Amino acid sequence: MINLAGRDIQHAWGKFIFTGVGLGLLIGVTLTMAGVYRGMVDDAMVLLDNSAADLWVVQKDTLGPYAEPSSVQDDLYRGLLGMPGVARAANVTYLTMQVRQGERDVRAMVVGVVPGDLGQPGQPRYLVDGRHISRSHYEAVADVTAGFSLGDRLRIRRNDYTVVGLTRRMVSSGGDPMVFIPLKDAQEAQFLKDNDALVQQRRRTAANPAFNRPEVPGLLDAVIASQSANPHVNAVLVQIKPGHTPDEVAGPIRRWKRLQVYTRAEMQEILIGKLIATSARQIGMFLVILAIVSAAIVAFIIYTLTLGKIREIAVLKLIGTRNRTIAGMILQQAVGLGVLGFVVGKIAATFWAGIFPKYVLLLPGDAVRGIVAVVVMCALASLLAIHAALKVDPAEAIGG
Amino acid sequence: MKKVHIQGRTLAMIGVLVPLLALFVYVAIRSGPLAPVLVTATTVENQSVMPALFGIGTIEARYTYRIGPTFAGRVQQVSVDVGDRVSAGQLLGEMDPVDLDDRIAALEAALKRAEAQVTVAEAQAGDATARMTYAETQAQRYEQLVEARTASAELLDAKRQERAVAETSLASARANLDAVRHEQTRVRSDRDALVKQRANLRLIAPADGLVVSRKAEPGSTVVAGQPVVEIVDPESLWVNVRFDQLSAAGLRADLPAQIVLRSEGGRKLAGRVLRVEPLADSVTEEILAKVAFDSLSGALPPIGELAEVTVTLPALPPGSTLPNACVQRSNGRLGVWLIEGSRLRFASVTTGAQDLGGRIQILDGLQPGDHVVVYSRRMLDHRTRVKVVERLPEGLR
Amino acid sequence: MHDTGIRVEKLRKRYGKGDTAVDALKGVDMQVSPGEVVGLIGPSGSGKTTMLKCLGAVIEPTDGRMTLGDEVIYDNGWRIKDLRALRRDKIGFVFQAPYLIPFLDVTDNVALLPMLAGRSNADSRKRAMELLDALDVGHRARAMPSQLSGGEQQRVSIARALVNHPPVILADEPTAPLDSVRALAVIRILNQMARQYETAIIVVTHDEKIIPTFKRIYHIRDGHTHEEAGEGRTFE
Repeated sequence: MINLAGRDIQHAWGKFIFTGVGLGLLIGVTLTMAGVYRGMVDDAMVLLDNSAADLWVVQKDTLGPYAEPSSVQDDLYRGLLGMPGVARAANVTYLTMQVRQGERDVRAMVVGVVPGDLGQPGQPRYLVDGRHISRSHYEAVADVTAGFSLGDRLRIRRNDYTVVGLTRRMVSSGGDPMVFIPLKDAQEAQFLKDNDALVQQRRRTAANPAFNRPEVPGLLDAVIASQSANPHVNAVLVQIKPGHTPDEVAGPIRRWKRLQVYTRAEMQEILIGKLIATSARQIGMFLVILAIVSAAIVAFIIYTLTLGKIREIAVLKLIGTRNRTIAGMILQQAVGLGVLGFVVGKIAATFWAGIFPKYVLLLPGDAVRGIVAVVVMCALASLLAIHAALKVDPAEAIGG
Repeated sequence: MKKVHIQGRTLAMIGVLVPLLALFVYVAIRSGPLAPVLVTATTVENQSVMPALFGIGTIEARYTYRIGPTFAGRVQQVSVDVGDRVSAGQLLGEMDPVDLDDRIAALEAALKRAEAQVTVAEAQAGDATARMTYAETQAQRYEQLVEARTASAELLDAKRQERAVAETSLASARANLDAVRHEQTRVRSDRDALVKQRANLRLIAPADGLVVSRKAEPGSTVVAGQPVVEIVDPESLWVNVRFDQLSAAGLRADLPAQIVLRSEGGRKLAGRVLRVEPLADSVTEEILAKVAFDSLSGALPPIGELAEVTVTLPALPPGSTLPNACVQRSNGRLGVWLIEGSRLRFASVTTGAQDLGGRIQILDGLQPGDHVVVYSRRMLDHRTRVKVVERLPEGLR
Repeated sequence: MHDTGIRVEKLRKRYGKGDTAVDALKGVDMQVSPGEVVGLIGPSGSGKTTMLKCLGAVIEPTDGRMTLGDEVIYDNGWRIKDLRALRRDKIGFVFQAPYLIPFLDVTDNVALLPMLAGRSNADSRKRAMELLDALDVGHRARAMPSQLSGGEQQRVSIARALVNHPPVILADEPTAPLDSVRALAVIRILNQMARQYETAIIVVTHDEKIIPTFKRIYHIRDGHTHEEAGEGRTFE
């Protein structure tokens, strides 16, 4: 027995492939949308993974440092190092701001880390080019998403930094690239305004008689110096010793130090449950609608294609083709179309995912789910068409 | 079996489907879970690491003199302005003496009077001395005469009494003279004191230098200790540098240093570490040091300008080194990923010093010639399969 | 031999029920022997189409008896189970239009029927080639139906009708769109095939050009048939 589905496809291969490509682009769009959703969630997860922290110690009663601003003293880490179960504790600051390079401005999350000490939480965990920061000032490591190259000079607030290293997938939860600079420079960047504001502030302080006492020379300078210093950081990241659980180490810190401490699980809940929740739901909603629409269009196309073959189906029935054979022909064509569409869609999605400004994560699991869904959808659609085909009266072939 | 007949349209269809399938397979292999992670590698090299310390400092003058009055008063005049060069002893300005001159004049007069009194007292003492001498002589003569029974004992007594009187007069006159001399000394001292005070109202440059600040104008009131003029010695500029405590191991005096001024990004000046301050800054966790210029030619850099200082430490003996991008933390241990075929193994290492170019010493944990991962596109773990390439590709984020 | 072919006795077909019932066939008798080519002539509305549908085992008659080859396929309410297999194996159809499957080549269009009957692909194609050669379209064996002329397509459809060697072939207006030369050619082929393969052929037609060729003609009018001798003209 020859394969009727195969012959039909071979005969009208152009139409088949054209339809398959069209379907494929639609499926590709749906796969990409799923990828956008996953990318959003991954941005949040990657932020947690990259900080390499087991605990986040932040200002009391805040959801910081990512969801809310948080401010703690920069000498707090010394006390934390002494607490039981704490292996490493490092200061870190986060500030999302514009970073200028040459003529262009890039929105980035500037992260302040302590330079020189490798492997501390908060520092980039691996590089794709260059080296880690070795000088205590004016060097930077940037993510490739920012578009900087090694040796570029960046301007952050009032200082210039040289890019000495590049990372990949070090992004904020919003997908902004991270730029790592030495902690002291970051503290200054968080606090010090531009020159005009500084001059105004000095003038205001000098005009205040409480600070400008002539019989106490040096008082004014001391006050201005203290105003220009920033002893705060946004969080202290803690890694715990093996053999301890995060909750066990977090408890005493909460109690004795009167700080807010989040474990990895709690931070994940905050980031995904609160920070990106609305955007994720937005995209998720759109994805569902897109999937439904795609399914409907697939069904429609297959149904229409089958209806176009009613005459041949009637003849086949008349000359004695089994219903089973006719149904098989339609089903095979539908599934073949679906598979072709999926192949085209997966290829398209893989290639155009790179153009998107934010990360698009195409999971193999989603691809598998996708192909199963496409095949099921095509089969269901073909059922409708088969039903129509089988109802055809072979007597139609006989005129009148 | 029917002979396989290749029709034109079959060929065309194959021509489209086969590349499509090939592309699909390519996509599945390159970007799916089957794809190996691309990494670059390097070998552990025996090298000598030349660590260097990097710090930011400000240009300061070694010696800064703040010239001001020791008493509260009003500034009468300021003779110099910012930028003037002054020499030691030069008059910089003067405070308002108020009544000081008058008081000195009064004391001068008093001194003269005291001197006159001393003269008078000296004359009086001379007079008393002369009388004493005469009375003594008379007494002795009459003693002789009494012995020779030519004078009466009464006369002798009278002469003795005159002698005694003259003695006391003399003593009194001497005492008076002493008193008046002391008075003279006292007045002179008072006068000297006021003169010194008056001198103090003159602001004198204690050494050669450059006026950098003029803090009070004539007519303004200043308190004791408040500077009116600030002078620095421009020949003695140094850089007050702060080094992070974490990376300041090995900092000591006499190490060579390179200084780059903020305003002149390209020009590197040579210098030397003069001393490491014994008091570090515990709040900012920095060590302070003073770095002197070897020689300063051309225009002097403004005081307060920022400078980047790199201090070169002596090279360490050769040992295993790696780029610092290799060092990662996995499961709490610090180490590197060794490449064995297409698989990875994590080796814990102990690290030593780093140089500013990112080369780090590996003290323990590796052998020279070990193959180690430098750059990777993903976080690695022991299950990852890797493929070593020359450079990581830039596309397909 | 005489009994193979097709025979119907007192065939009745009623559409609808009760008062609105219509009797399209009111007791029809017909018999065609193997090798015979008879004509079935009647105006529209005469029950001609219904007759064809009953003969073609496409619809069931209400009453009567149908014998096809050696088999009774319908007898007063009882009918043979598998009509489709019957159509496939025992009845060949030639339509006004060739109705070839456009996505199968000429050989496969014909070979499809034996394949449906369960024969191997090779065997089916061999039989198909035999018939195509006999009908003088063997040289177009590899072509697609759209590449053939109308006449060639019609011959292919005749080959398809014959390939399973059915005892009866129903031809519905096979010459309607053709000119007289071609029409006579088709009739000549039909006669030739009928003799060669011992098939009974019923040609439903009102084409004046070919009516003279029939030896026997059934006229159908108002649900009844009556037989008539035809001219039986043959053509060189």
